[in-house]
Amino acid sequence: MIRKLSFILIILLSVTVYSQIDRSKVPEPGPAPEIQIGDYESFTLSNGLQVFVVENHKLPRVAFSLVLHRDPVLENENAGYISITGQLLRTATKTRTKDQLDEEIDFIGASISTSPAGVFASSLSKHTEKLLDLMSDVVLNAVFKQEELDKIKKQTISGIKASQDDPNAIANNVRKALLYGKDHPYGEIETEESVNSITIELCKKYYDTFFKPNIAYLAVVGDITSGEAESLIEKYFSAWEKKDVPSFEYKNPRAPLIRKVALVNRPNSVQSVINVTYPINLKNFSEDDIKVSVLNRILGGGMSSRLFRNLREDKAFTYGAYSAFASDRLVGSFRAYCEARNSVTDSAVTEFLNEMRKIRDEKVDADELEAAKNYLIGSFARSLESPQTVASFALNIARYNLPKDYYKNYLKNVQAVTAEDLQQMAKKYIKPNNAYVLVVGKADEVADKLKPFSISGKLDYYDMFGNEYDPTKKALPEGLTAESVIEKAIVALGGKENLEKVIDKKSTLKGEIQGMSIILEIYQKAPDKYYQKFDMGMMKQETWFDGEKGKTVAMGREVPLEGDQLNEMKVEATLNLPLKLAELGITPELTSMEQVDGKDAYVINLNLPSGKYWSQYYDVNSGLLLKQVRTMDSPQGSITVTSQFSDYKEVEGVMYPHVITNSFGPQSITLTLEKIEINIGLDNSVFSVQ
Amino acid sequence: MKSSMITAVLLLFISIIYAQSKTIEFIEYDLENGLHVILHQDNSTPIVAVSVLYHVGSKNEDPERTGFAHFFEHLMFEGSKNIPRGKYSEIVESNGGALNAFTSFDQTFYFDLLPSNQLELGLWLESERMLHLMVDSVGIETQRKVVKEEKKQNYENQPYGSLLEETFERAYSEHPYRWIPIGSVQYIDMASYDEFMDFYRTFYVPNNAVLSIAGDLSIDQTKELIEKYFGDIPRGTLEIPRPDIIEPEMTSEVRDTVFDNIQLPAVIQAYHIPEMTSKDMYAIDMLTTLLSTGQSSRIYKELVDNQQKAVAAGSFPLTLEDPGLFLSYAICNAGVDPADLEKSMQAELDKTKSELISDAEFQKLRNQMENRFVSSNSRVAGIAQSLAEYYVYYGNTNLINTELDNYMEVSKEDIKRVANEYLTEDARVVLYYLPKSSQN
Repeated sequence: MIRKLSFILIILLSVTVYSQIDRSKVPEPGPAPEIQIGDYESFTLSNGLQVFVVENHKLPRVAFSLVLHRDPVLENENAGYISITGQLLRTATKTRTKDQLDEEIDFIGASISTSPAGVFASSLSKHTEKLLDLMSDVVLNAVFKQEELDKIKKQTISGIKASQDDPNAIANNVRKALLYGKDHPYGEIETEESVNSITIELCKKYYDTFFKPNIAYLAVVGDITSGEAESLIEKYFSAWEKKDVPSFEYKNPRAPLIRKVALVNRPNSVQSVINVTYPINLKNFSEDDIKVSVLNRILGGGMSSRLFRNLREDKAFTYGAYSAFASDRLVGSFRAYCEARNSVTDSAVTEFLNEMRKIRDEKVDADELEAAKNYLIGSFARSLESPQTVASFALNIARYNLPKDYYKNYLKNVQAVTAEDLQQMAKKYIKPNNAYVLVVGKADEVADKLKPFSISGKLDYYDMFGNEYDPTKKALPEGLTAESVIEKAIVALGGKENLEKVIDKKSTLKGEIQGMSIILEIYQKAPDKYYQKFDMGMMKQETWFDGEKGKTVAMGREVPLEGDQLNEMKVEATLNLPLKLAELGITPELTSMEQVDGKDAYVINLNLPSGKYWSQYYDVNSGLLLKQVRTMDSPQGSITVTSQFSDYKEVEGVMYPHVITNSFGPQSITLTLEKIEINIGLDNSVFSVQ
Repeated sequence: MKSSMITAVLLLFISIIYAQSKTIEFIEYDLENGLHVILHQDNSTPIVAVSVLYHVGSKNEDPERTGFAHFFEHLMFEGSKNIPRGKYSEIVESNGGALNAFTSFDQTFYFDLLPSNQLELGLWLESERMLHLMVDSVGIETQRKVVKEEKKQNYENQPYGSLLEETFERAYSEHPYRWIPIGSVQYIDMASYDEFMDFYRTFYVPNNAVLSIAGDLSIDQTKELIEKYFGDIPRGTLEIPRPDIIEPEMTSEVRDTVFDNIQLPAVIQAYHIPEMTSKDMYAIDMLTTLLSTGQSSRIYKELVDNQQKAVAAGSFPLTLEDPGLFLSYAICNAGVDPADLEKSMQAELDKTKSELISDAEFQKLRNQMENRFVSSNSRVAGIAQSLAEYYVYYGNTNLINTELDNYMEVSKEDIKRVANEYLTEDARVVLYYLPKSSQN
């Protein structure tokens, strides 16, 4: 009866009180709960292993995580061997095969995972001792077997192949290469080649060098007392022998001097992976670190941050846009990132840069600052739900030599951050003009619109391994040879028979340079006699070659042709050169496929007996020569001369280019073939060097 | 030899005592309007998880409006009468909280994880969502585009990203599981404002929802607050449609090829399994553990480790309210023929049908189930979700404490029996994923 009465009362009460609720107001919070960081115990074994114990008996579980504190290691041509060593660690011990390990770990429902810098093991607490037996065996008694290495290498190479189609994996690879460079341990990229080169000795050496108790920290978390932990750790890890571990230093990369656009072409992309990114000098646990975390929260740390609100909720470019600062003991990084459809890829970059500028130029307002701090404080409190968090705090304090109360003061330090602090941080770390704009996407649809973001106006193309390449180069068809390209060129020119009918010829070309007209006359006679007259009004130049000797006369000064110049003159003077390669000792070599003014062309290097070569570009479709590049020695050093040939027309059965453009350095001259006279009976005296 | 001795000793030891996991205490009751409430108090960390499960997923959709439930989830972040557009997440995050939501075949789930002194805020937010959603055309247009980007990001632009879609559309001919929650994007463009409001009035009503709260709270005060914010939300008046379509049995294998932007071919097999409340699901769960959990599991050990034909392989059941699918999959190591890989995978499945597993392997399975059970409830957010799901699908919230018993009742014979009953070759889908470059 009483219960019923009170029930009615409550109903009445609720009606009277709660019908009044004002839904238009955000409810006031209750008094802030105290955020308490759990305690931990610590001890050190005589071999130097530092152990931290966080007791938590909520669930009958226990976890051990061992971390090695060492400098990053450069892998060079064996990129990938360190991570492979981490995997190999769990494949055999002195007394257990891989099958036995797998079986024993799974039998108790446990998990043990290994990495190059540590081991993590967890199970129900009733299996603690068995778990430690297995874990310590892996750490102390690892054995490296060739067959297991071979397996992992095979898996790794398959993994590399699989990632070639994953736009995010590609972006991560290229980002590493851009930010850190391949000679920094953070910038190394695994390739099939580097993985293939890994030996068992290399892996063993890494283990012998770095798996040492004196650089190791062990966190024990869960349903275990510190007393139990101490005796068990003593039992299973005291036989681990200490040894000095080498340290390394690296030169840290800097942000690019000007903003660059790096593009990775993924032709089937329906969306671009976009990163605006650069390295920063932000040390972990530094004073700036906490301030920067507040800054990032405002810029792009979550669903109510500026990037998300702008790029998703306002513009609907993407499913999500974020930013992140990584602080690090060596070198940190910034990146703002999203995935956006092809048509708005450039607009997304614009908005990233806008938001970066805005947070640099304008002080954040008080509400935004308060909201960001609240969020960070809330995340901190949430993270404490996991006992692992307290363990990681203890480890960080020890590893990075932090003040004992670093985490106790963390919230206070977050609270103390001001809008002025943030602007100072933004000016120091937000660099819209010194960023890489990295895009993995469909170049056909996004490339042109990305050009304006490059301060130099140039797009840098990268492959998925972070190698820069020239996008005009394409893959060559299987089975194609240099000989067949030359063969096709001969046919295109009119065929061997027609070419051989040409005994001599005189070409007259006209052009203009800096307002002055030029006349160039070229006389040629089989097999290799040559005379050229270059007339620019004020300046005249004549060149003779009689098949053996040659000379040039310019402005009344005579210079004999010698050495390489003479050798190359012989090649240049040869009439119907494509027919005479073997005779001249020239080996053609097919090197690549590139584009010349939008046309696909096979690139043939003509390797001259002198060791030099000329590059010739033959049109894939017509077979005709489109371009020739030669490097010439001059008193000013070597210069590259590029000749382009177009407007081919037939004259007496043979195709001749009627427009030729020669360029060297910034200069170029376009010459038009005005007249060509074939087989006019030129006398040898025309070519005489006397 | 030594290890089998140990195994034998462990067998004796373990079969007697199972871990005494702490019981998860909870109370549950219904409000007048039909909202089911579940509360779990755990004061160890000053946070609280406020969640609402709406019993509506992609299987409640019109075939001409696939993707609707998920699209609607996006709209539910747009705002309400008292929450301006785009402020929903800002209010949560600026008060130190985190939030998210997901849509599956069977349900739509929203949660806010808040500092415990902000419990009332969470209740206000979720009650606003349930009471008076407000969306305008700007919000609808924006979310249409956002969802299309989501589909590109998570499905179209990802290697193997279409796997579930391709599998489900072949495995079902009648049942609405034949499309997946993300749906087809063209339909969200067609949906009208009236359709959104109909959907809201039909499904987003207290009598189709569970409010599940776990964390640092006091039961009495929380009950009062719930009454305050949810008590006056009117019960839904429309009938809540539930699909009663029974998928006809497959009578022959469906075998097909999908060409994707991938380098390594993959093989997927999908078998029909019963609804989640079927007792056989416990045996099926143990069967998949046998095949795929841990490096000693059969598929992994054979395909990846011993034969090195696969770079990854495994199996998992999609446990759904209506009969779901059991998937086994393998991705070829470089240079391996998918047909060869499928043969090896098939051999492992066949072995579970023809041979009873050993005592040691059976004990391992039981230990693995125990470990999973104990570990599964370590966070308040996960507890809130599990409580709601046990209530909605099993009508037994306390399964969160007792479900391990159901696993322990499964016998070796049961595992063999379910393998024979469900892994049937003439009622399955087999898909080969091949590189586009191999097409023609």
